[in-house]
Amino acid sequence: MGSPFSMNGGACVAMVGKDCVGIACDLRLGMQALTVSNNFPKIFGINDSVYLGLTGLATDVATVSDLFRFKVNMYRLREERNISPDTFANLVSTSLYERRFGPYFVSPVVAGINQTSGKPFICGFDSIGCIDFAKDFIVSGTASDQLFGMCEGLYEPDLGPDELFETLSQALLSAVDRDALSGWGAHVYIIEKDKVTKRLLKGRQD
Amino acid sequence: MSRRYDSRTTIFSPEGRLYQVEYALEAISHAGTALGILAQDGIVLAAERKVTSKLLEQDTSAEKLYILNDNMITAVAGMTADANILINYARDAAQRYLLTYNTDIPCEQLVRRLCDLKQGYTQKGGLRPFGVSFIYAGWDPQLEFQLYQSNPSGNYGGWKATSVGANNASAQSLLKQDYKEECNLKEACELAVKVLSKTMDSTKLSSEKIEFATVGKTKAGKIYHHLWGAEEIDALLKEHGLAKAEDDENGDS
Amino acid sequence: MEVLLGITGKDYVIIASSKAAMRGPTVLKATDNKTRNLNKNSVMAYSGESGDTVQFAELIQANVQLYSMRNGVALSPPAVSSFVRSELAKSIRSKRPYNVNLLLGGVDPKTGEPSLHWLDYLGTEAKIPYAAHGYAQYYCLSLLDKHHHPDIDLARGLTILRMCSDELKRRLPIDSKGLYVKIVSKEGIKEHVFEDEGQVLPA
Repeated sequence: MGSPFSMNGGACVAMVGKDCVGIACDLRLGMQALTVSNNFPKIFGINDSVYLGLTGLATDVATVSDLFRFKVNMYRLREERNISPDTFANLVSTSLYERRFGPYFVSPVVAGINQTSGKPFICGFDSIGCIDFAKDFIVSGTASDQLFGMCEGLYEPDLGPDELFETLSQALLSAVDRDALSGWGAHVYIIEKDKVTKRLLKGRQD
Repeated sequence: MSRRYDSRTTIFSPEGRLYQVEYALEAISHAGTALGILAQDGIVLAAERKVTSKLLEQDTSAEKLYILNDNMITAVAGMTADANILINYARDAAQRYLLTYNTDIPCEQLVRRLCDLKQGYTQKGGLRPFGVSFIYAGWDPQLEFQLYQSNPSGNYGGWKATSVGANNASAQSLLKQDYKEECNLKEACELAVKVLSKTMDSTKLSSEKIEFATVGKTKAGKIYHHLWGAEEIDALLKEHGLAKAEDDENGDS
Repeated sequence: MEVLLGITGKDYVIIASSKAAMRGPTVLKATDNKTRNLNKNSVMAYSGESGDTVQFAELIQANVQLYSMRNGVALSPPAVSSFVRSELAKSIRSKRPYNVNLLLGGVDPKTGEPSLHWLDYLGTEAKIPYAAHGYAQYYCLSLLDKHHHPDIDLARGLTILRMCSDELKRRLPIDSKGLYVKIVSKEGIKEHVFEDEGQVLPA
């Protein structure tokens, strides 16, 4: 069986650009080496400027994404405003730590733009909610080692939205080509202050 | 006579009545009017906001109209403190349904969930019923646009046009007179402000005194709900000649 | 070596399950029906630990029917699937989880849209055009990859099912005693007699 983190496979990466952030994931869902679905997105819209990526055990990816939809909807109704990425990151952290001794087997990534300060924000977490703040990139999933390599090689600071899309996509596609458990196409989101572009990459279908 | 029976909500009076429930209804009939009108392509909710003092902060948040979930809104008449408890309960119930079924809760089910809670306080010992009536406006794929009303007893029903709160009898008869089944949302908004202008104490309306909300469908077929801003309300009032004249803007309210 | 198969077409879903009830290598029964009708427009097929399977299927069936009674409307197939997923996700973190894998097929009574959901005992859910559980996954998914299209008619769907059944007979060491087949369409659930046409031998 192996680790719950690598049963279903999947990869996710986020990057900061100049006044923009990008987040991308692959689309594979598998059981060990067998591919069950090639349309299993791992990025979830929290609101127009915050996105959550979840890799790891697929059942927990679904449970955790549904749970945050619940929490964020209640937040929006109560506060009558959207949650900011920084606040959302803390919500993710505390929610995961609630399950300290029986964790959800997921590695979340948050990417977004703070609408009040206009600043890009990305961060990653371990499965019990320790936040990893970063000013360049965050990787997660079964292709995380490959993603680290690609990002270290390709990333440069202050990329515009189009260059960021290119860098992010190349990093993800090349990384999943060297991972048997990830791939089968990708979703890429480029988030700017008042615009979000979602692109679907076909990718290698093998 | 009634003193022997009305201290407990759970006890019927010899005439077969529940006094606490009736007192709650009485309390609501003093609250600001709220009304709802069902149109072919949407629903409008409108409510009177009682301005108690001009020192009171007015521009904070809506106090009569609330969003329940992505496809339902509600208008409140009665005790705001009680309403807050119920609205939070409804929002939680709606999200819980979304969590298990991945679909928005059908309107009537959400109304029923709230009414089951309200009903409990007409039967379970020692507690006061919620002093709140609601008008709900919503949409679901099964029954499309729907308008409901509920009261402290836990009774609810579907309506084409309805009202609660002060002067609701006269509002109701005005609605009955002027409601047209095939009206569209724009006509329903017009009817709503006209009825409000006749039932409210002050003759001239303004965005400080009323709240307005609509549920409708965009051209792309997506359901939206919208709590109106002050400018939108003033524009509507102006269009129908019900706005306060410009020069007495600075007069006492 | 229980077999569950599901195939969607343009306006229908086929759900098939093997007739053999097994315990280790022994076949205990050759007329075991591993499917339950949840409401007028959705069918569930299940496999896994005996005992757990029927218990869980009946729990779901009862709850889905209770929903219809309480609310006067049936749950749509995707809503049923989400409900089942949440039950399995709850179960996997309980003291004794249900060990049940499922296929859930249905047609939306209002839109007529067919849907097929694949679920495992962990609560993993995927909406896919064709699905299998158990060894059938290894033998049939590649066949389905080659021959399936989203807009196939019922006759073509059944032909592909026959190809799958033949392949299983050809490659599995134990005969699964034929298939029970149910077809869900807008009109409701129909049982389909799937003739067992004797031996199929490898080349």
